[in-house]
Amino acid sequence: MRVSFDWIKDFVDLTAAPEEAAHRLTMAGLEIEGMETAEDDTVMEVNVTPNRPDCLNILGIARETAAAFGLPLKKPQARIEGPLQKGDIRVEIDAPELCGRYSGRVIKGVVVGESPDWMKKRLEKCGIRAINNVVDVTNYVLLELGHPLHAFDADRISDRTIRVAKAGKDRSITTLDGVERKLPEDTLLIWDNREPVAIAGIMGGQGSSVDSDTKNIFLESAYFEPSSIRRSSKSLGLKSESSYRFERGTDRVFLETALNRAALLMQQAAGGTIHEIVDVYPGEYVPVTVEVPYRKVNSLLGTDLGKEEMLKILEMIEIHTSDRGDSFTAFPPAFRGDIKEPVDIIEEIARCYGYGRVPVTVPKTPLPAGLLNRKERNIDKVKETVRKSGFTEVINYSFMDPGDLDMLSLGADDKRRRTVAVKNPLRQEDSLMRTTLVPSLINNFLYNLARGTREIALYELSRVFFDEGGRLPDEELRLAGIFFRENAPSIWQENAPSFFIVKGALQALFGEMMEGEYSLAPSDEVFLHKGKSADIICKGRKMGFIGEFSPNIIERLNLKIKRPEIVIFELSVDILLSLAKERPTYTQIPKYPSIERDIALVVDDRITSGEVLDLLREYVSPVIESIELFDYYKGKNIPQDKKSLGFRIVYRNKDRTLTDSEVEAVHGALVDFILKKTAGTLRQ
Amino acid sequence: MDDLQSLKKAFLDEIAAVTDLASLQQIKSRFTGKKGLLTEKLKALSALSPEEKRSYGKLVNEIKEFIERTVREKELALKEIEKENRLLNEKIDITLPGKPVLFGKKHPINQILSEIKDIFVSMGFGIEEGPEVELDYYNFEALNLPKDHPARDMQDTFYISDDVVLRTHTSPVQVRVMENKKPPLKIIAPGKVYRCDSDVSHTAMFHQVEGLMVDTGVTFSDLKGVLELFIHSFFGKQTPVRFRPSYFPFTEPSAEVDIGCIFCSGKGCRVCKTTGWLEVLGCGMVNPRVFEMSGYQPDEYTGFAFGMGVERMTMLKYSIDDIRLFYENDLRFLKQF
Repeated sequence: MRVSFDWIKDFVDLTAAPEEAAHRLTMAGLEIEGMETAEDDTVMEVNVTPNRPDCLNILGIARETAAAFGLPLKKPQARIEGPLQKGDIRVEIDAPELCGRYSGRVIKGVVVGESPDWMKKRLEKCGIRAINNVVDVTNYVLLELGHPLHAFDADRISDRTIRVAKAGKDRSITTLDGVERKLPEDTLLIWDNREPVAIAGIMGGQGSSVDSDTKNIFLESAYFEPSSIRRSSKSLGLKSESSYRFERGTDRVFLETALNRAALLMQQAAGGTIHEIVDVYPGEYVPVTVEVPYRKVNSLLGTDLGKEEMLKILEMIEIHTSDRGDSFTAFPPAFRGDIKEPVDIIEEIARCYGYGRVPVTVPKTPLPAGLLNRKERNIDKVKETVRKSGFTEVINYSFMDPGDLDMLSLGADDKRRRTVAVKNPLRQEDSLMRTTLVPSLINNFLYNLARGTREIALYELSRVFFDEGGRLPDEELRLAGIFFRENAPSIWQENAPSFFIVKGALQALFGEMMEGEYSLAPSDEVFLHKGKSADIICKGRKMGFIGEFSPNIIERLNLKIKRPEIVIFELSVDILLSLAKERPTYTQIPKYPSIERDIALVVDDRITSGEVLDLLREYVSPVIESIELFDYYKGKNIPQDKKSLGFRIVYRNKDRTLTDSEVEAVHGALVDFILKKTAGTLRQ
Repeated sequence: MDDLQSLKKAFLDEIAAVTDLASLQQIKSRFTGKKGLLTEKLKALSALSPEEKRSYGKLVNEIKEFIERTVREKELALKEIEKENRLLNEKIDITLPGKPVLFGKKHPINQILSEIKDIFVSMGFGIEEGPEVELDYYNFEALNLPKDHPARDMQDTFYISDDVVLRTHTSPVQVRVMENKKPPLKIIAPGKVYRCDSDVSHTAMFHQVEGLMVDTGVTFSDLKGVLELFIHSFFGKQTPVRFRPSYFPFTEPSAEVDIGCIFCSGKGCRVCKTTGWLEVLGCGMVNPRVFEMSGYQPDEYTGFAFGMGVERMTMLKYSIDDIRLFYENDLRFLKQF
């Protein structure tokens, strides 16, 4: 809220500079977010928290200023001396639960025109445009005293009757801003004898508004139930300075002072005769009392305040108290609707005493040994391992575009179609919660490629969301990565196909993290290249996939690169962590030397190297330590439908040195075995 | 005897000119080999008197030893030269670039998140988590934010349905933890949160770290102590800290924590909007109503809670001026940290 410093001084004799006032107000909970000088005044931008509607006005801020400087507050006086004529407007309240008090005054014979300069200036400094002397007065009092008022043209109120009642069915009204609005049934309205003339507490209707021909005014000052105003304002999508204050809570006692202040100002600015007040008050204000044990104040704050000091602080902000021995009773004023509980009083004491003066201590609670839990540590390790393989971490929004699933050609019964939709997305492209991290990574890839980056290796570890029919969606943790490298000229060549670079990274990940075996099987992911993709299977369960994008996807990405090898992987971190290694135990390093022998095998091309390796491993011998594929060759000197595979076998006996002849015997048998199993030949 | 001296001289002349091991071997065998010049000289011995024989023979042996010694020395010297030459031939261009080692970087948000976690873990806080798609009850109501409460305006909410939202803060984790664990409690809950808001200084998703400590006799001054300790570990020991009153429905008293602007040392600059202070944390004593709703006895326990935005912390630490950079994921940005 914009506040004129000069105006505050109407209520408190302040000599301090605006900067000092701003500092003290900030430290008392009224944050001054900015200041600007306007002529010989300073305008402060005050951030008023939702619990303090009493500070949405000059008087409230002056009250806090006075307390912060220990100065007296000059309370506004607005006495209207009688005898007055009775006004001719009748008020009925049909919905007393939503309107606790409705008062007003008729002012007859006004001359609508411009407001005096001093008033216009103050309004404009506080960000409100001057309209005419009648409307300006209501706004002036709203800013000064915080109570919203409304001025009707009294002659446009049919039958001189004001009725406060709900909208009921099929009602609409054209508001002051010229918009015709359909009204929800529960909206509280101000009616005359025929039709609605205002939306209570939110905005007046056009039909009853004040214009240059207006002669007689009915000035309304009422109390409306905050939650009702808020609901109506929200469902109508209509906010005003009035609704902002009503929905936060106004002072039903003080509204009479505001009414009188406005009537007097109006008479001053527009002339006319003030009539007697009409005041219907079904919801009498019940004062609040709060009982607070003194001990509780210090034990919550960690302070050592004396009884008198506490009560003195409260008195400064108009909270009267009476001592009851071990405790005191506090009587919050009607404008402090936020104070109901002992802790509210304690906060007031702390706030005015100064948070800065509260001692700084270390909790007495014994400190347990802080530890990242196992899951946290394992997730850190997963990420670290992937980073070591060259992947850089990205974080994307948890949203995706409904079109993303079609882009990936996912079938109707694919699990990733069980999406969670956001009702009010910022953009249609962000209207679903992600069920896969792949689309985000594609976007990251495209973004970086378009900016000239030619080596792109990215990973993300985030949650995805599935609607499985529960109250809340299933949240699963996924790791996904994308890899692309343009064959740019480089001094140090590395020629491995991208698929195997990524597979290597995953091997390293599984090796670091996982207990037990995993295997790759041809993948049925529709967006992957049929011949260059695999599902990652662990304990019979699919935990993820790896592969190049299919030509269809590549086509859709509209790249300017010929046949790019873009490799993507995604896997379930939940499954990975469920298989996470315990702390390893040491295995003795072998004492006796090993002997290596190679086999160069020519086999049918349809047999995969993995199948041959599996067959070799079927051969049981206690002295075979390891078998590793070290050569893969197709081409010259090998028939077209065949390939050559070179395996290195390491033999070792852990208890003694093996002899050549022992190894020869085992190796010979192994060679015979594999030749028979694969129907292969030895390479010449 | 003169012929022997001239032989020695001839040897010295020849060896001085030798530059390679092969020629050296040739010289050696030409002088001292079986049919070498010196061996030939021994044949002359038979014609000499015993007296002469002895002195002649002695001289021949001396010369032979001399030649052999000289050859050995020369051989060592030549080998040394040869090694030198080989090294010179093997010389590489040391200014060529090294083979790049591929290693990825951690996203700056997560780097700072790890720093924050480490500090609280070292103070004995455990780590908890909760769902990102959350019930309205946990996100608002159990935190003393009933429907139609104006404070709900402080957070623009993404809705999944009337009673399911994308959590707008990590505070619901507080409630979930209190429902399941007994005090004393010391936890932080880091995670993603969502607000229906996007401009230069806001993104629809960002990260928060929530903290909660509950026990008997926890005070507001303890809250100040813990958060000052955190800020001094994170921003440096000299960083000024101030607590000023604020409002959150789930804490009371509530506070905002400011640090002296780290860019202008509190003198006032663009980043701190000339105030000299930067807001970094929201906190307060747990509102007794939140205890009640979570099933704790408000008369028995007190506690404090706090929350901070990780993006904000990261921006301050790395002098990043645009929050949107975090979610563009430009490698030229990510590789800087």
